[in-house]
Amino acid sequence: MDHGRPRRAAAFLCLPLAALLWGCRPAGERPAVPAGPGVKAAVPARTGGRFVFPLPIEPATLNFVSGTDIASAVVLRVIGEPLVDHDVRLKTTPCLASSWDLSGDGRVLTFHLREGVRFHDGAPFTSDDVLFTYERIVDPKSRAVGRADGFQTVERVEALDPGTVRVVYREPYAPALRSWEVPILPAHLYRGADFATAKQNRAPVGTGPFRFVSWEPGQQIVVEANPGYWGGVPSIDTFVFRVMPAPETNLPALLAGEIDFARLSPTQWEARRHDPEFQRRFRDVGYVPLYFNFIVWRGDGSNPFFTDPRVRRAMTLALDREGYVRSVLKGLGRVTASPFQDLLPLDAAHEPSAESKDPAGTSAADLPEHQGRGARPLAHDPALAGRLLDEAGWRIDPRSGLRTRAGRQFRFTLLIYSSGENHVQFAQVAQDDLRRLGIRMSIERLDWQTLWSRLKSGSFQAALSGMIPAPDPDSIYGLLHSSQIQGGQNYASYRDAETDAWLDAGRRTVDAVVREGLYRRVEERLVDQQPYTFLFNPAVPAVLNARFEGIEPSPLGLLGSSPGAAGLRLRREPR
Amino acid sequence: MAGYFLRRVLGIVPTLLGVSLLAFGLLNVLPSDPVLTWSEAGAPMSAEGMERLRRELETDRTIAARYGDWLLHAAQLDFGRSLRDSRPVLELVGEALPWTLLLNLSAVLAIYGLALPLGWAGSRRPGGVPDRAARCLLIVAYVVPPFAAALLLQRLFSVRLRILPLQGVTGGEAAGGAREAIDLALHLVLPTLCLALSGWAFAAHFARATFRTLLDAGHLAAARSRGLAGLRLAWHFAPNAAAPFVSLLGAIVPGLLAGSVVVEEIFSWPGMGRLLLRSVDGRDYPVVLALLLFSAAAVLLGQLLIDLIYPALDPRLRDVIGSEASVRG
Repeated sequence: MDHGRPRRAAAFLCLPLAALLWGCRPAGERPAVPAGPGVKAAVPARTGGRFVFPLPIEPATLNFVSGTDIASAVVLRVIGEPLVDHDVRLKTTPCLASSWDLSGDGRVLTFHLREGVRFHDGAPFTSDDVLFTYERIVDPKSRAVGRADGFQTVERVEALDPGTVRVVYREPYAPALRSWEVPILPAHLYRGADFATAKQNRAPVGTGPFRFVSWEPGQQIVVEANPGYWGGVPSIDTFVFRVMPAPETNLPALLAGEIDFARLSPTQWEARRHDPEFQRRFRDVGYVPLYFNFIVWRGDGSNPFFTDPRVRRAMTLALDREGYVRSVLKGLGRVTASPFQDLLPLDAAHEPSAESKDPAGTSAADLPEHQGRGARPLAHDPALAGRLLDEAGWRIDPRSGLRTRAGRQFRFTLLIYSSGENHVQFAQVAQDDLRRLGIRMSIERLDWQTLWSRLKSGSFQAALSGMIPAPDPDSIYGLLHSSQIQGGQNYASYRDAETDAWLDAGRRTVDAVVREGLYRRVEERLVDQQPYTFLFNPAVPAVLNARFEGIEPSPLGLLGSSPGAAGLRLRREPR
Repeated sequence: MAGYFLRRVLGIVPTLLGVSLLAFGLLNVLPSDPVLTWSEAGAPMSAEGMERLRRELETDRTIAARYGDWLLHAAQLDFGRSLRDSRPVLELVGEALPWTLLLNLSAVLAIYGLALPLGWAGSRRPGGVPDRAARCLLIVAYVVPPFAAALLLQRLFSVRLRILPLQGVTGGEAAGGAREAIDLALHLVLPTLCLALSGWAFAAHFARATFRTLLDAGHLAAARSRGLAGLRLAWHFAPNAAAPFVSLLGAIVPGLLAGSVVVEEIFSWPGMGRLLLRSVDGRDYPVVLALLLFSAAAVLLGQLLIDLIYPALDPRLRDVIGSEASVRG
């Protein structure tokens, strides 16, 4: 037999593969980050540059009003603009409204619009656009998820002239100003079109620092510097939002120079924070987000454990939250003393022009003595936890070693999110802490979807969850108000008349000092009642390609605050 | 014969109905719903807000009513609109389908391109060192999970060697023409490799066994003795050899389709697998239903196509089908 021929044939067939691999050589010689392509001549030559930002999911839509998922919000921040915005310290700043006044009774908010602002298509921005945007927000057909909730107390919105908009509320609404952080739609392009399917939903036109160029489905959205931007033309030529669904690929893509910003896992960050080469190429832009984790104790009597506040307090005292931040989060994060921790003190942007009175009857004079200070969280104290449990009737049964009351052993199940690295580790450590107190906690690992629906339907005893509050204390309303037990976010079924009254008053009180006092009272009550055990805010380790500068992260991420992408520029001299 | 194939085509319809019913049932048994997903994934809603939205999306209607409605429209090839972005489902599928086809076609070529020569070489000298080495390597490739393989290949070729792009389908700089095609080809390499990994071992083993049967058969010696050699000999046996490889396609493709879900996710490949994952996550019922239905239809039609090609390659089958058709007819 002739063995030579088949071997040659095999070699021949392998050739194309080899050629393909060799053919890629030149690509390897390109710079770490591709230089900016020659963008259209309309943009004058400047410092230039092309910035690539990864998105974990593709935006559902780029409609300013109905695009409320996280990805849409990030992209829309560079294309569209709201009347008011916030800076990296989450303080309210002017944007399309250059100023505003609030009437003495807190019911009338008047916006003075910035003059000379034009949409990307050249049409002027006027009060008509603001009115149109408002109409779309409150129209249920717009599916403006979550946004419409902030406009339920609006009585009417009227344009006094092309540069002035007046919003009249049925009752004073403290988060009113924040609720206007919605990008303003170009009325002239949307009017007459079907709102849900208008072509601008996939090719948006706004007033922002960047204008839309292209959206390649499933791949990327490209925007370029807006040469007519009222706030000054951005330094970066092209900004690319690249859809990268697998978080594991973020770090390799960053190292390969395909993206310029990446979130890292704590493990990835630990492995590289002391690597001088990595530190030279990338700058630390990590941040502690508003997101916090908490345990929900279902306290509606459906289980024999968590209806008693003493038991819930004991659970919090038993958990070494400081220790978890060190061990589970490797120091990357901090204990959540209270859900209001990052939302107070209030900035005075909402200060009314005249004297106002707190609907709950409080005046600034009789504020609680802890005014201005944060909540005092319960410290780790297993001994006190044991005493509280004894007091509540849960005594250690010498035979089983478990706490028992009326023949019932203290055994419960904690629901957790199965893919959350932190969550799994935390649950295991917590399990040990509770075992030492004579409590047997089992862990049930679920996917997000199942976890959410179990929380909603109330089929659980305890669950580890998390939330991203909006930067206003009223965003905690859903977690604590008794009206939100049925179908809302009050998963603990926490029902407390005073808490309800303070939360309602906080929503209606526009005087910043009085309002803060109300939330401090809620905070105090939470320490006592512990419907939830607030755990920690896990930090987000993130790095930026050191070729860029001029941008600082905020608790809302790298692009989440003003000026965000508009401030980004190439470094003058390379490090 | 024509009657036989007509019956086969019509036989697909009840299967598809069954698939749609099962998919619809499963989707509705799954916990959570689109509104809850949206609320928890970034835009928290009040209890009242969620109810308003459920009414608006009509997800508060009964399962039977929604299925009936869906079926009525699907029968007219109207698969509705995505709940997520209000675009027609067919438009979304139309955007993703070419990418999945490209990736899978490229993986099939890669599998056959390597498995056939390896199988041939192995069959010529079974148990030899090259044969054993190849089989060993292929088994390793088979057991490496595509997810791990992808991350390793990305590290090696994109981060260390910097000769291949790491993810996506384009470098992002619009060039047009040949440069764009090369760019796309480069982006295809790693996902194709990952997708082909699990198929190679099976296909090479199959090829080796097939070639051995062919080579051992008495008719090869008979043909040789008649003086056939070289390409003419190969040509003579090509149809014989081709038939098993066509049916191999039927075994490989469903696996590839399933594998592309993972591969598309890691390589940010904008295909149907990723669309499916995203839609299941967001409980985007119309999209999930359409995708499952189309995949089922594709597999069934593929099988049918193979059955059509088979008789052309193997005359013995023609008689079988013919006689069956005459008995039934």
